[in-house]
Amino acid sequence: MKFLSLATKALKQTIRDRRSLFFLLLFPVVFMIIFAFAFGSPSSLGTGTTSHEIAVINLDQGATVSINNTTQHVNDGAIFTRLLENITYPQTDTHMFALNNVSADQAQTMLKSRGLDAVITIPENFSQAVVALANASARAETASDIGLIVINESTSEAGVASGLPTSASSSQLPANITLPKQSNATAQVIVEGDTGTAAFAAAQGLILNVLTQFESQIQGMAIRQVDSTLAQNQSNASIDYISAAVQPLTGTRSLTLFDYQAPGLIVFALLMQVSSVAQDLARESDRGTLNRLKLSNMRSFDLLFGTLLTWIVIAVAQILLLFGVAVALGFEWAGGANSIGLAVLVGIIGGIASISLGLLLAAFTTNERQAAQLGVLIAVPVSFLTGAFFPLPNEILGTVFGTTFQVYDLLPWTQVADALRQVLLYGSNFGAVAIYVGFAIVLTAILFVVGVVSYSRVRLRSD
Amino acid sequence: MELTEQSPDSATGGYALQVQGLTKRFADLVAVDGLTLQIKKGEIFGFLGPNGAGKTTAINMIVGLLSPTAGAVLINGQDRARAPKRSIGICPQELVLWEELTCAENLIVMGDMYDLPRGVTNERVRSLLADLALSEKANTRVSQLSGGMKRRLNVALAVIHNPDIVVLDEPSAGLDPQSRLWLWDFVRSLKNKERKTIILTTHAMEEADALSDRIAIIDHGKLLQLDTPANLKKTIGSGDIIEMQLAEQEKNETVIADLKAVNGILEINDASGKINIRALNAVSLLPEIIERVDATRTRVSDISIRENTLEDVFIYLTGRGLRE
Repeated sequence: MKFLSLATKALKQTIRDRRSLFFLLLFPVVFMIIFAFAFGSPSSLGTGTTSHEIAVINLDQGATVSINNTTQHVNDGAIFTRLLENITYPQTDTHMFALNNVSADQAQTMLKSRGLDAVITIPENFSQAVVALANASARAETASDIGLIVINESTSEAGVASGLPTSASSSQLPANITLPKQSNATAQVIVEGDTGTAAFAAAQGLILNVLTQFESQIQGMAIRQVDSTLAQNQSNASIDYISAAVQPLTGTRSLTLFDYQAPGLIVFALLMQVSSVAQDLARESDRGTLNRLKLSNMRSFDLLFGTLLTWIVIAVAQILLLFGVAVALGFEWAGGANSIGLAVLVGIIGGIASISLGLLLAAFTTNERQAAQLGVLIAVPVSFLTGAFFPLPNEILGTVFGTTFQVYDLLPWTQVADALRQVLLYGSNFGAVAIYVGFAIVLTAILFVVGVVSYSRVRLRSD
Repeated sequence: MELTEQSPDSATGGYALQVQGLTKRFADLVAVDGLTLQIKKGEIFGFLGPNGAGKTTAINMIVGLLSPTAGAVLINGQDRARAPKRSIGICPQELVLWEELTCAENLIVMGDMYDLPRGVTNERVRSLLADLALSEKANTRVSQLSGGMKRRLNVALAVIHNPDIVVLDEPSAGLDPQSRLWLWDFVRSLKNKERKTIILTTHAMEEADALSDRIAIIDHGKLLQLDTPANLKKTIGSGDIIEMQLAEQEKNETVIADLKAVNGILEINDASGKINIRALNAVSLLPEIIERVDATRTRVSDISIRENTLEDVFIYLTGRGLRE
């Protein structure tokens, strides 16, 4: 079993080389700690300036209001939708949201395939709640302006006037003021999305902010109207007539950006293997030990399988170490031992992809240093392209088996990162990640064949 | 001059290695040009040539690291590609070791690569480390060994699988005199005790002279001469060598031209500022030589007489010094 001997040799070499160990294990751990520190709280979400793909399902039936003695039918849901459509990031022309004009069913489908970051559902009574908010604000402001006792007397509403002075009378209410009726109408806007994605985390934060602004504007308008009539300048309305609720996509829950990034950081560590594998193999050529091995009974299979075995062991160590560190740093891990086992299996696929790329680099680099530098030069950008650190803009190639396929999905590590998120964050079983694993295996197999053939032809044959 | 060795034997009998018309071209450069050799079983075969002569290229083709452009290599009468790989062991000129592994681990890995049973490997490791005075360093990482120790381990790795043919490429390069003598003893023991066939490339003439049963001198990829050291010195370089240094080196040419007329001088040339004269009965010629030097209005600042050496043969054949 020559491959076992070679695997043992390579493992001993790696373990005894402190620089290599640091690069493979401590370097990603340091990254994990930094990311946990920077992105481990919900407030770290949503600071970008990219447009979020959303859909608004406006179920609002509208409301009839009297403005300046004219009765109008208004649809505040539509007004709020336009606000979402038009709002831009401060000091930029970039719209916060790109609205997709789709049905509720289509929106759900797109949400599941990550074609949308969030779906907003505006309820039927949204306008009534807005009117109620405006009225309440106006009443409160009026009460604040001229004294609640006067209002109490003029409207005879029970319970409001108790304990107030009796000297006030209806004659104190100006003749041009008609107090709006108070209503208890409330509405809840639903913001739905996959809380496992940073894109939703950022989008929902922005949506809630816009809704809060919308409420403030309604209140402000009512208050200003009252104040201009009574020539007063105070307000104190704080009734929660419109609220919003973030509703996770089925099977998801509220997470921090670090929760999203931690599986990506494991993939980042696996990608660091590219440089190490290329460096190790280039070293064998550089030092002449590969020639020594080639002159023996060793077959190409022994070297390649031995290398594979070594780096799979290292990949497992990386996954378990980084997972442990992530959990210690507050990573919201779902699932039990099974999910760890599945994550290790998925990670091994990512490791094999890295080994394959390492073989490819080792075939075409002339020395150890060149292999190491080229490895880093490739692995680091690739780790960004897999979405390990932050979500990337949609670059959709097409749909395969009902799943949207993006440019980045051509990288096996992207599939591995997606699968790891599903397994570790949501405790998904193999069936749920089979599509990611399937793509990862196919892409890795292609890369492996290219790597093995290149390395064998260039390095393992006689010159 | 172009030579090929003639077989004194049948096609395979008695030969560990046969090289037939071996040629290697790199674009316009012919590194090895139709090299034909037959190396007897159990002999130490010296392979000499200046830098760039094609020695290493030839060795690499012999062991299988390089594909020949033309020609064949037979190992024990079998085509090299079909011959068992364990029949050859090579000790390259560079230190080819796994620095992070211990001495024993290095040897065990190579034992495994040649499919030696672990028990056999362990025994070989023990005995080789003992022979190489490395027993105490068995569990020491190579990175912590001295240069001499590393070179000894480099040799051990070439023979861990007990090959019939051992190729030693500049094995004593960089060794101190004491280690070199130890290495010579080890090489002799490989031949005498284990009946190995040894191919030795070296820059050191005294090493080739002391160890080799036969010596091949190659240059520009071609075999120039092949014989025993004694025969080489006798046939190519009979007589003694007078080495003479003039006070004025610019007069070397004049003096050489004049001395060529002296009866008994076989060869005379300028070797890096010194005049080398090969002559029969050199001592009796000295008065006439000095007289002729005086006549050219210069004087001899240094003069010595020594026996003809392999290096003189080499310079005669290649026209340049070994360490150029």
